[in-house]
This record gives sequence, structure tokens and C-alpha cells, in this order.
Amino acid sequence: MVNLTIDDKQVTVAKDATIYDAAKSAGIKIPILCHDKKLHPFGGCRMCLVEVEQMKGRLIPSCTTPATEGMIVRTSNEEIVKARKLVLELLLLKHPVDCPVCDAAGDCDLQNLTYEYGVSKNPLSDEKFRWEIDYINPLIERDMNRCVHCGKCARICDEIVSFGAYTFINRGIDAKMGTAFDGPLECEFCGSCVSVCPVGALLSRPFKFKARWWAMQKVKSVCSYCGTGCQLTLGVKDNKVLTTIYDENQGFHNGQLCTRGRWGYQFVNSEKRLTTPLIRKGSALVEATWDEALALVSTKLGEAKSAAAALVTPRLTNEELFLFKKLFTEGVGSENLDHSAGYAHAALTDAALKGLGEAASPSVIADIQKCDLLLVVKSDAYETHPVIGFEINLGVKRQGVNLRIVSDKSGKLSRLPGAQTLLHTPGSELVLFNTLANIIVTEKLVDASAPLLDGYAALVTALSSCTVEKGAAVTGLTPEALVALAKEYAASEKALILMPLGLGYPGHGSALAQSLLNLAMLTGRIGKEGSGVLFMGEKNNSQGAADLGIVPGKNGKDAAGIIDGCIAGTIKALYLVGENPVVSYPDRKKVEAALSKVDFLVVQDLFLTESAAKAHVVLPACSFAEKDGTFTSLGRNVQKITKAIKPVGSSKSDYEIFNKIHAAVTGKPLYASCQALFTEISESVSGYAGLTWAKLGSNGVVRPVTLSPKLVPVVAPAPTAEAGKFALLTGSALNHCGTLSQYGEGPMMVCPEGYVEFGRADVKRLSLVEGDKVTVSSTAGSVTLKAKLGNRLSEGVVFAPYHFNDNSINSIATGAPVTWVSVAKAK
Amino acid sequence: MSHAAVQKKKIEEAPAEEVDLTAANAIIDKYLTLPGNLMPVLQGIQDEYGFVPPPTVALVAERLNVYPSQIYGVLTFYSQFHLKPRGRYIIRVCVGTACHVQGAERIVETFFGKLGIGHAETSEDLRFTFEKVACLGACGMAPLAMVNDDTFGKMTVQKVDEIIAEYNQRPMK
Ligand code: SF4
Ligand code: SF4
Ligand code: SF4
Ligand code: FES
Ligand code: FES
Repeated sequence: MVNLTIDDKQVTVAKDATIYDAAKSAGIKIPILCHDKKLHPFGGCRMCLVEVEQMKGRLIPSCTTPATEGMIVRTSNEEIVKARKLVLELLLLKHPVDCPVCDAAGDCDLQNLTYEYGVSKNPLSDEKFRWEIDYINPLIERDMNRCVHCGKCARICDEIVSFGAYTFINRGIDAKMGTAFDGPLECEFCGSCVSVCPVGALLSRPFKFKARWWAMQKVKSVCSYCGTGCQLTLGVKDNKVLTTIYDENQGFHNGQLCTRGRWGYQFVNSEKRLTTPLIRKGSALVEATWDEALALVSTKLGEAKSAAAALVTPRLTNEELFLFKKLFTEGVGSENLDHSAGYAHAALTDAALKGLGEAASPSVIADIQKCDLLLVVKSDAYETHPVIGFEINLGVKRQGVNLRIVSDKSGKLSRLPGAQTLLHTPGSELVLFNTLANIIVTEKLVDASAPLLDGYAALVTALSSCTVEKGAAVTGLTPEALVALAKEYAASEKALILMPLGLGYPGHGSALAQSLLNLAMLTGRIGKEGSGVLFMGEKNNSQGAADLGIVPGKNGKDAAGIIDGCIAGTIKALYLVGENPVVSYPDRKKVEAALSKVDFLVVQDLFLTESAAKAHVVLPACSFAEKDGTFTSLGRNVQKITKAIKPVGSSKSDYEIFNKIHAAVTGKPLYASCQALFTEISESVSGYAGLTWAKLGSNGVVRPVTLSPKLVPVVAPAPTAEAGKFALLTGSALNHCGTLSQYGEGPMMVCPEGYVEFGRADVKRLSLVEGDKVTVSSTAGSVTLKAKLGNRLSEGVVFAPYHFNDNSINSIATGAPVTWVSVAKAK
Repeated sequence: MSHAAVQKKKIEEAPAEEVDLTAANAIIDKYLTLPGNLMPVLQGIQDEYGFVPPPTVALVAERLNVYPSQIYGVLTFYSQFHLKPRGRYIIRVCVGTACHVQGAERIVETFFGKLGIGHAETSEDLRFTFEKVACLGACGMAPLAMVNDDTFGKMTVQKVDEIIAEYNQRPMK
């Protein structure tokens, strides 16, 4: 610790603090332009100049100067004010000062500082910049005439995003913030650069001229896309969510978001939103009243009883999921309840439950930056959860985390410093991890705690056939590489495994999860800080759905069973809440047949999805922006969302709808509020005990786990192979999440349709050009998609994201970890 | 404008250049494991190709794991690098103070007229690149011109013709 005096105040700070940090901790504000708490100090703008008694003669930039013992600092006096004014005058020389038409006005550091320092006239004069504005990319307006050369955009894109789109280009008077070849921006479109730009040089195009900053209400919420659980601030005006607003103090991620979180909000006020209930009359869905629709649904579900089934999206709040489970199991009397096609959450609800006694990850998000070795299962972890990707970037670059990626394709993570990617044969993950576990046993790297665990002997016996030679043959990796990875994993003091889950990843089910847990338990990694396993649930409340048991009861059918049951006629009524299985579940033809066959189909959704179009009753639900409630992130953080706007049209929140149906089918009174449901959750769901609405505060509470580790052997079937065919891997596209992002403008602007990605060798072999139409066929059918050329895939392996309705990939993929396809250029 | 239209436009604007990357790959191989290898690699490429062809930037970015933007920043910061092909013979005419006073502008204009190219431009046959430069440090010989490493002092309009004729006869290799 060091002690110093700032403006006559005694301040004690940590050794690595700068003068700026020290002042901030004492509540003393020093103006900044180029400094950002998340980025390495830059010291470029000279706005933060202060006077230091011991360094008299010149003013000192406080953001780069370390605080030292006994320093006497003055943050403002005549000379300092003059110097800061000069900085502003120089910046204003070139700046267009077009505040009336700038969206940053009101939230602009240059404008605010100019006002604060009263820079009303400029003794200097110079020509303005005349840079052409980049309007070519759809999301970010780049007006370098407004740029103050703070370098924050380039630094965040490098340090945190690791994309590196920008740099200072040219020399002297021509110097500007630019891209490679000074071309249009083509990047991940996470918007981090827009967030940190202190002026209006980088702006959100979808928000352009939508509202003045000060006219918007700022409402705190949580992103409703993936399981990362990033906190959001919604900019609201006239009952519309107009933008997301950056707040560097929000969440573990300091306000950082990805494309979906930042630019996917438009689904809330989309013109495609359903605004009234619909009831089928012959071939048409016609508008109906809520009373009619709810009466019909309650009656039909009540009649179907145990022949009713439900598939519920893990995008709902905990309170809604909890109430729905009650309604369905106690009210309707059915145990046929599931979500996310079953396999997409089985890592939690099956593997973790069996192996740990809790349907949750033993680790949390903060462990990523605390581990020594990070083992990522599939490079796709970046695409599925981009802000977790930022955490990985930071862990590797700032904390020296060793990154090992075990994957069927390389990816962005593969390029991080020191990262090693082990590219294995598609579908051989399970064999690979069993082999690693066996190496750990045979090389005597087992932690002392492991032999005491239940199932140890059985596991060792089961693993004995998973020899390195066999493992190498199946995975396509060398025996040395497998042994080296196992040893490295075992030798690292803190080792964490990450595995993304999701509808695009049928191979990431219970068995693979169990094999990872076994590996972690064998090496004593469970329950230790910076160690363990983090299962990355796909949706915003996947963890909540697992916690609340949105899974089939003992005698109930799971998602696949429900689809089969509809076809067989044993399921009479199907209730789809926010799920769009026609597009997202394996085997589209089969799902469509099931939905056409079932006697009564009710779909509750924001949109008339492909599944809703087949319904007998459609109930218009609300988005996350129209309700209160809680989501639980993949790191078990229980966080609150806040109602930002009134329901669109006559839509109702899922809570309100369930509340009415619950009352109708059980005869019980209505719940007074979702807070009341949260209280019930805290009383009945383990891990939520003691949580109260008030305790959740603005940052949420990481719910604890009580673990009882147990080793469970898993058999690894040999991966399939078909000569002459391509291995099709499905998964997530970076800019999308589930099927919801199809209704978010931003994601669709940068990634408007499905595609099939090829590696270099196949591009050459098939003489493909970007955008070529190719027909991809499996035994289930064929789809025609645009070709995307990449350098991530090995020969004979192709990748396609699932999210899209048109030419949906589930028309050819039927739920196997790898689908074997033939590929031909379309005529 | 929809994004699809945008992408199309870009491809039309910048037709893919056919560049033989063998030499660039060899240069990268040579420096691959050395720390601080970006500058020597770029210099090597510039020497080999006479300029830094854009496809080599993508190659260097991928193989050295540096952002293309950073490479572009370096290339545009240092005047020694060129992103466009350069002529076999680089004509530099000094427009520093001494040369200016001695009528450098007329020399410049004459070169412009005779070569049909302006400042920092290269003739279509890649024979000449013309550049105006600041003081070359031989003010006593003002006005001054240089062609590659050859110096021509006390320049006159007639001399411009002679120089062009002379270098038009020299080999291109
Ligand atoms: S949007 Fe993200 S990836 Fe693109 S330039 Fe900005 S920070 Fe970089
Ligand atoms: S564009 Fe914005 S963030 Fe980037 S250097 Fe300019 S002012 Fe700073
Ligand atoms: S989609 Fe996921 S990573 Fe992106 S902002 Fe939302 S929660 Fe964060
Ligand atoms: S904020 Fe300190 S130099 Fe810019
Ligand atoms: S001014 Fe031309 S050589 Fe000095």
C-alpha cells in the first residue's frame, strides 16, 4: 500500500495504482478522454494532467503515473485548468463541432468537458478534417472527422476483443484511426469500440437519429440471448426499446456485449410481434379474445391430462418456469415436460446431477481468469458465448492462462498467444476424453482424493480399454499429443474445462459432460477455485431451467419422446412455450409431422414462428423487456430483469398467462406477483435458499452449489464414418443465438442467412468462390446454402450454423453428433 | 443499402490480385521464429517485389499472427514501404528551399509533362516513378534531381529530356 495526499486528502491505495486511480478511490474526479479502466494505460490525450509537488516544473498525466509514497497531488489549479483548456482547444480545432446532429451529444466526453471548462472561443484556427464517413458496414458509422485520437477503439478491439480491426494509419497530418487498407469495417460487430468511443466518431447506425440521449429512460436488465448473462442498459422512449446503452460498471464484463446483446434488441418492438391471441378456424388462424383462447387451452390441457406434453424455452424467467412446472405437473397432471430438445441441457440435468448431485456447473465465470490451464471443448465456445470469449482473451493475455483447445475445427481462440489446438476427427470427443482419463490413471497422475470417490474402481476398470493407441487411432491425434495434454492438465495447479452446450451441438450431451467431470474429479479439481468444469448453457436461462427441473418426470417423456408420442398419437395436446422445434430441433420433417399430427397444439410465443403457424391456438407472449423476473446465468448468477416498456399490443407476459391457466386448472387463487413466486422458489429449490428479491440487488447473487462428487463411467461409441462423404458439423454462428436473433435486426444485418463453411483444401478441390450455392444432402434430405470460405476446417469437414428457418440445417441433420453429407455445387 | 449489395460492391472494387506468394513465404520462413520479425519480413517483401502487394499482407498477418490492420499501420507510417508497384527507375526532384529558389518547379512540371505522371505516380509500363522530395542535402548543386542512386545537379529543362532518353534505354531488369 502507498499513502499520498490528493487535494489535501489522505489517500491509501494499492501499490500498482496510478494517481488517477487513487483520486478516484477518494472520490476526486479527474477528467479523462483516452483512459479506460478496462484497458492498458495509454497517456495520449493529456486531459488528466495534475500537479505533483515532488515533480514540479511540468504537469503530470495522472492516468499513467504510478502513485508513490508521500506524493502530494493537486488535481486542479489555474495552470492545470489552462492546460486542459488548451487540450480541448486543440481538439476542437479539427473537430466539426456538429453536436446538433450527433447522436453522442449528451453522452460525449468532448462536449461535456468543453462545457465544463467553458471553452467558448478558440484563439487558434485550422482547417477541419475532410474524411469520408464509412457508411458501408451496416452497424457502425465511422466518422473520423469527429475522432479525438484517443485510441480506445483500437485498444479495446485488440486487448479485449482480440479482433484488431483498427490501428492508427498514415503519418503526421494524415494520421487517422483506420482499418487495414483504410477499407470499410468488416469485423465481429460486437460494438465494443462504439461503447468506448468518447465522442460521436463511432455510432450505432440502427440507432441513428432515433432519440436524444437525455430523452431516453435508462433501464437496467439482463441480455436475453445466451447463458453468459451479460447485464444490459436499455434506452427506452415512447414505449420502445431504441438501443442498448453502455455502462462500464455493469456486470463482471464491465458493460461489454456481443452483437446479439448490443444490436439484437429490435425483436422487442418488431413489427412482426404477435399482438392478439389467435384460434384456428379451419385452415386459418383468426384473432380471438384472451378469455376465449385461455378457456380453450385450459379445457384442452385439462382433458388431455397425462397425454398432454410441453416443451418450454429456457428463455423464460425462473418465476415463469417455476409456475409453469406447477401448472403442468400439478394442474394438468402430466410429466411430459422438457426443453431444448433434451440433449442441449443433459450435461446439467443428467451428467452434473448424477456426478455432482446438482444440475449445475461446479465452477463459475470468475474461474476463467483464475485458472492456470484452460481446456476448451470446441473452439465454438467463442461463437456460442462471445463475452465468455472476451474473458478467455483476457485470461490468456493478461493472466497468463495456458489455453488448450480440443476441437473438430480451429477458431478464433486458436490464435491467442500460446494457444494450442488439438484438431481431432469429428465426433471423437468422447473417446478423446476417456483416453485422457485413462492416461491420468496409468501414468499415476490421479489426485489422492479420487480413489475415495464413489465409482472409482468401476471407472478405472471401464477406462482400461481406452488405451492411448486406440485413442490416437480414433481421434487422429498422435499418442504423444494425447499424453502431453493429459500430463499438462494433471500438472497444472488450477485447471478449468469449458464446454458449450446448445441445439447446434448434439454431441455435447450427458456422456461427454460426464467424461469431463470424471477427468476433473480424477485430478481433484472439483470445488477448487479456478478449477473444475463450466458447462455453458445455450440460452439466457438455461441454468434456471435446469435448477427448476424443466425436465420430464419419472414416467414422463423427454423432448424426443414427446415428438414421437405426437406422431404415435399417445400425446394428445402439445404446449409449446417459446420453443420453435420446427427450425431448431433435430429432424425437421419428423418435427413437422408431429406438430401436424397432434390433436391440439398451443404455441405461446412473441412471433408467429414456423411452429406457431401449425398451432390451434396461438398466445402472444411478452419479451424480457416487458416483464420483471430473474434469470440464472451459466455461472449460476441469479440476476433481475426489469420491466422497461408496457406489453406490446395485447400480449401478456408468460407469467400472466401461466397464472391464469394455473388458476383455471388447479382452482387455486392467482399469484399476486412474480416476487411471490421467487419467494416460493427460494423456499423449495436447493441453492436458492435464503435468496430474496432485495438481496439480488443490481449485480445478482451467485447461487451456491452443494456437491457430492461421484465418478460415473461412460462408454464411448466409435465415431461414425462414411467414405467419400463430408462430415457436417452444426453449431452456432457468432452473431446469432437460437432462433430468436432472426428477429433482431443487427444480427441479421451482418449474418442474414445460413451458410456452409469450407476449409482451404476443399475450397480448392471444389473450386469454390465465396457465395457459391452448394447443395448439401444427407439421408434425411438436402438443402441449398451459400458457401463460405474459411481456414478453420480440415479437408472433408464442413460447418453450418442452425438458427435459420430458410433451408434450416435440421432438414438434413437428425441429431447425430456428425452428419455425413455429400456436397455439390448447385446449378 | 443492404449488406449483400455492399459486399458485392467491395469485391468489384478490389479485384483479387494474382500474386505469387512463394517468395513471400520463403521470407517469412526465414524470420518466423525470430522476435520482432514483422519489420524484417516486410522489408524483405518490399525488396523482393518492389512493393508490398496486398495479398502478402494477408499472408504475413496469418503466418505471423498479427492483425492486418497493424501491418497496414506500419506500412503507412514508414515512408520506405510502398503499397503499389514502383517503377524500375525512381526519379526524385528536390523541391527544398535552395532548389525551389533555383526553379525546381519548372523541372517538376517538365517531368510531369514528358512522363505523363504526377507526384508519387508510376508510369503504366512500370519504368518510372516520379516523386517530389524535400532537401536532398546537396543544395550547392541546386536544382537537383536523382534517378535511383544517380545524382543530376544544376538541372535544366533540356537535361530532363536527356535523362528520360537515357533511362528509357536502360534495361528493365
Ligand atoms: S465492433 Fe468489435 S470487432 Fe468490430 S471493430 Fe469494434 S470492437 Fe472490433
Ligand atoms: S474513433 Fe473514437 S475511440 Fe477511436 S480513436 Fe477516435 S475518438 Fe477514440
Ligand atoms: S448474447 Fe450472451 S454474450 Fe452476447 S451480450 Fe447477450 S449474454 Fe452477453
Ligand atoms: S486520460 Fe490521461 S492522458 Fe488521456
Ligand atoms: S534544397 Fe534541394 S538539395 Fe537542398
